[in-house]
Amino acid sequence: MPAIQVTNLQKTFRTKHKAAGLGASFRSLFKPQYSTVEAVRGLSFEMDSGELLGFIGPNGAGKSTTIKILTGILFPSAGEVKVLGYVPWKQRRQLAYHIGTVFGQRPQLWYHLPAIDTFTLFGKIYELDDRETKKRIAFLAESFEIGDLLETPVRKLSLGQRMRCEVAASLLHKPKLLLLDEPSIGLDVVAKQHIRDAIREMARQENVGVLLTSHDASDLEALCKRVIIINHGQIVYQDKVSVLKRAFLTSKLVEVRYAQQVSPGFHVEGTETLKVSKDRYGVKLRFDTRQTPVEKVMTYLSTAGTLLDITVSDPPLEDIIRLIYGSAA
Amino acid sequence: MKKYFGIFKINLLNSLAYPAELVTRSLMIVLFMWIFYQLWRVTFAASGADVINGLTLRDTMWYLLLAETLELGRPRLARVISQQVKDGSIAYLLNKPYDFLLYQLSSGLGESLPRMGMLFVLGGALVWAMAGPPPALVNWPLALLALAGAWLLHFCANALIGLSAFAVEEVAPFEWIYQKFVFILGGMLIPLDFYPAWLQAVAKSLPFAYMMYGPCRLFVRPDMQIFVQIILGQVFWLMVSGGILILAFSRGMRRLAINGG
Amino acid sequence: MKELKFLTALWKTNLASAMEYRVAFISQTIGMILNDGVYFLVWIIFFDRFKDIRGWQLTDMFLVFGVSASAFGLAGILFGNAFNLGEIIVNGRLDYYLSLPRPTLLHVLTSRAVPSGFGDFLYGFVSYLASGQFSIDGLGRFVLAVILATVIFITFLVIVQSLAFWLGTGGTFTGIAINAMVTFALYPITLFNNTAKLVLFILVPAAFMGAVPAGFVRSFSWSTLGLMSLAAAGFLSLAVLLFRLGLRRYESGSAIQVEV
Repeated sequence: MPAIQVTNLQKTFRTKHKAAGLGASFRSLFKPQYSTVEAVRGLSFEMDSGELLGFIGPNGAGKSTTIKILTGILFPSAGEVKVLGYVPWKQRRQLAYHIGTVFGQRPQLWYHLPAIDTFTLFGKIYELDDRETKKRIAFLAESFEIGDLLETPVRKLSLGQRMRCEVAASLLHKPKLLLLDEPSIGLDVVAKQHIRDAIREMARQENVGVLLTSHDASDLEALCKRVIIINHGQIVYQDKVSVLKRAFLTSKLVEVRYAQQVSPGFHVEGTETLKVSKDRYGVKLRFDTRQTPVEKVMTYLSTAGTLLDITVSDPPLEDIIRLIYGSAA
Repeated sequence: MKKYFGIFKINLLNSLAYPAELVTRSLMIVLFMWIFYQLWRVTFAASGADVINGLTLRDTMWYLLLAETLELGRPRLARVISQQVKDGSIAYLLNKPYDFLLYQLSSGLGESLPRMGMLFVLGGALVWAMAGPPPALVNWPLALLALAGAWLLHFCANALIGLSAFAVEEVAPFEWIYQKFVFILGGMLIPLDFYPAWLQAVAKSLPFAYMMYGPCRLFVRPDMQIFVQIILGQVFWLMVSGGILILAFSRGMRRLAINGG
Repeated sequence: MKELKFLTALWKTNLASAMEYRVAFISQTIGMILNDGVYFLVWIIFFDRFKDIRGWQLTDMFLVFGVSASAFGLAGILFGNAFNLGEIIVNGRLDYYLSLPRPTLLHVLTSRAVPSGFGDFLYGFVSYLASGQFSIDGLGRFVLAVILATVIFITFLVIVQSLAFWLGTGGTFTGIAINAMVTFALYPITLFNNTAKLVLFILVPAAFMGAVPAGFVRSFSWSTLGLMSLAAAGFLSLAVLLFRLGLRRYESGSAIQVEV
């Protein structure tokens, strides 16, 4: 049985408009103004037990809303959802015993106390037996290498250390499914690596399914086998990470600045000109490395004028999504 | 000077930006005035007299109104400053080209003026309806002058409490006790005139009476002798507390510079 | 009930967290005792001058302060988040509690302890001791009265702050509600006429936090006990109902500003 089954999920929010000022406050009492936001429009996907699935999308794409529905905190406007066999918003408490959650922006460890106190409390919250809890803490301490951090007040830990403890805490009760919402926000590269390795290892050992949402494509790359790209409340792309990588790594963005002005119709063969700056000294373009060799583009650019500055980068997520959307269409 | 006026203005506008909230917040004074009226109406009736220690029921009510206006309307400076010290945001304020204390003064004033105005109007409406019209117009200027002095005294005291965050972890207990001393020795809940003579004397030798009793008494039943006493007292205590404040501030600054915040 | 194990663990954690800052904890406890004491002095001055208010005397004041302070303190110690439930709702912080397998309202309320609450709680006992009405069985009545008063106080706070599910504001109403409750509880009930008394029993149940329990401490009465228990049960049911309704709204997403 799949761990998660989502069929045609829809969620529309109706929020009241409120402007400042006495007049507006009175008006809103008698004639409230609403705006509707369609956060999720017809999402369908499945996740197998023990699978490592990534959810990626820009802000406002509907990721957080979907996760909230999966955990039963929000109920949908339409559609069916089954998580570990439960309907989340109807059987939230029963489901809670079997899932673990880590929200990057909302810590669950008690700030002023050592992490171990939160672990012990969680043991009581999930109704685990005391000895079981102690053994489990020792095991997690080793897997996440947080043994020497457990007795330090959480407020004294670095963000990376804290996140490791957070993820460990979410696994205390041996959940079958772990939901991570932006867990690596604010972490440096080394800390991110550390966490990913620990999660991957735990998932493998205990057959825990992991659903991860992130802005950071490298998170997904390192941790997930399959990825779902979501945008404007719909699934834009759904496939294995290896396939996404191929699409991801194939395009490059180049920004150049010349000492002389370029013609408004500046174009390099095999590339797409994204923008010519207003003063016409700068150009931004993009190209597919599978179709146009990097060397060719660079050579052309460096001989087209006196180069003052050049930046070569990977395209932002929005662009990848747009690209994938375009190629999938 | 201009910049402080600007700071004052922006805090004023900020207070006025959400009038609905201002009104709701000010409803507390209506609650207190109503309850005070019940208490004093019954007390005056039970004593069988129209006047107690020189004050009528109407006087007492307007006295208490001004007291509550000042108490509920003054800026919670102790909390603001102690928070700034504790989370280090005081550093941002110190880096600016203005005097820290004057900044707190002007922003506090901007914030509390509309609030005091609203409190006085709302509370005053109820008191007028229940106990009778406000004191004669001639009393108002004297009271306002003393009110300004009282406000400044509160400012100095609260700023000092706030700055004690440099030395102490928790300033809240000091805040509570300070407030209660104002209640008792400042005659906030019971006019000082009703106190036994010895207690009145004690209260008048301490600064609290000038923070509360002064303006309130001058508002309802002024006389020249009291006025002079109050003003002199306020000037004296302002010099003392102002001096301590400036000293404490420079000590605190030195500490900040040494410890790096 | 099985929640007891969880609650004891949670209360222990709260205490540990509060005691992490030993100096602050002690200074807040002592500070609050002094705070309450100095405030009471105002009443001593009043009753020294005016003797009684329609039969209400200084002794009654000691009792009322006793029950109210201990109830207020107990609320802060065991159900500290009752004071900022509105804020929690408005800031979406309920999500944390919703994703855990324990009853939401209970979990939220008990997840914080207000250190100064210990001061209030202790002061209440001191006030009762100093009232001149102290006796051993009186103490038993005092404890019972405090428990019932605490229940009514907290459930009242829950009711008021559950409005945040619909109104979207936290702080202002809560502040007024707490002030109203405490102020009315501490003023002699003999001051109020019948309409006002009705308000004090039903709308802002301050009578159940002050005068009624104080009367019970003075002397046992089945009817008073019955009345207090009924009120406690009534307010509790209303609080739970209102919170559940609000929670349904919260889960539909229309309660607050949502991050998509």
